[in-house]
Amino acid sequence: MKKSEPMSESYYYILLCLAKGANHGYGIMQMTEKLSRGDVTIGSGTMYGATSNMMKKGWIKEIMSTEGAERRRLYQLTDTGREALRAEISRLRRMLENAEEV
Amino acid sequence: MSATYKRSFRMYSAWNYMQEVEDLNKMSDEGWQLVRGGCFHSKFVKNPDIRYRYQLDYQKIDDMARYIEIFREQGWEYVNSTFNGWHYLKKLYDPALPDEAYEIFTDRESLREMTGRWTRFATILGVLFGIMAIIEAFRVITAPNLPRIIQLFTLIIESGLLLRGAFIMRRTEPGQKLRHDSLILGIFFACIFIGAASNIILDDMRPNLNTQQQADEVFEPIVENRWVDFDVKYPDNYYLDLMIKADEPLTFEIVNEADEVVYTETGTDVDKKDIRIKLPRGSYGFRMSVNSGFELACSID
Repeated sequence: MKKSEPMSESYYYILLCLAKGANHGYGIMQMTEKLSRGDVTIGSGTMYGATSNMMKKGWIKEIMSTEGAERRRLYQLTDTGREALRAEISRLRRMLENAEEV
Repeated sequence: MSATYKRSFRMYSAWNYMQEVEDLNKMSDEGWQLVRGGCFHSKFVKNPDIRYRYQLDYQKIDDMARYIEIFREQGWEYVNSTFNGWHYLKKLYDPALPDEAYEIFTDRESLREMTGRWTRFATILGVLFGIMAIIEAFRVITAPNLPRIIQLFTLIIESGLLLRGAFIMRRTEPGQKLRHDSLILGIFFACIFIGAASNIILDDMRPNLNTQQQADEVFEPIVENRWVDFDVKYPDNYYLDLMIKADEPLTFEIVNEADEVVYTETGTDVDKKDIRIKLPRGSYGFRMSVNSGFELACSID
């Protein structure tokens, strides 16, 4: 298996926020702040770049929300994206385990 | 009531874009709100009732609607883009919010991605100018003249400043303030201007003369004085290409206003290229003496 590159914090949190279902940019941003207890913020420039790159990689895809009158872009995790997130989590877990061994 | 506008012609180097952001914020605090940002000039409207904070982004945006939406979600308003890929964004200032609320790149990776795009562009351009400088350097070594020397110097400076800019931009850190260096930008544009002016004006002032003469048979010796005249408008090295084919030796000369010979060549079979002749300002002419059938071609520049 190809060794996966470490993910940036923003990529990791965006994928994490989408694990339980599609969300829009602002929702991802709020959820990230809540999850990280304010440690991680995702600014708009970072958000646009990260979502663009992850769409190109095929990790997430854009869908239009049908709820309500306002059409909004939602981001949804793909199977490849879920796999990438899983790989990152196990990489982080291995690193933690290694720290505990020392 | 008509709106009051103000224009600013201040330019900023890309690696110093944080300085521009800071100045836009200051303008907003003083009641001047950005209407349109540009590389060469920006327009402001007077409105003392609001305060904005600005940010700049550099990229080719694939999906403008999505870009605007993502920024709007966090209170950013898209102002405009410049022709070369810079985007101006503004957000209403709320003193209660922390400084981080006005950052658009919140991790090192995404900031590096943004600065990296410009770094790549400037590096490619800098290397290209560098290659042109090397080519020009060879021309200066083999056949120096004023326009080439000027071209070489401007290319070296342009290449150096671009690579220096790329280096500074690459090392930009989040939230970093850079020293102002509009002088560097001034030097860069001065070089571009001098290079172009030298190309257009100095090149155009050179004689750039091309002429031929021939005769199958000559019954009595010909001495042709000043069959072509040309002006040298500034002292420099000028280069002569000369081709002579004659049955009997032919003498070719370049003479100045006082009929003094500044260059002479005699022969039956001459084919010389890039003969360097140092000429002061003045008016010159070609002189030829021959007593047989001949063919002569010469050019000077």
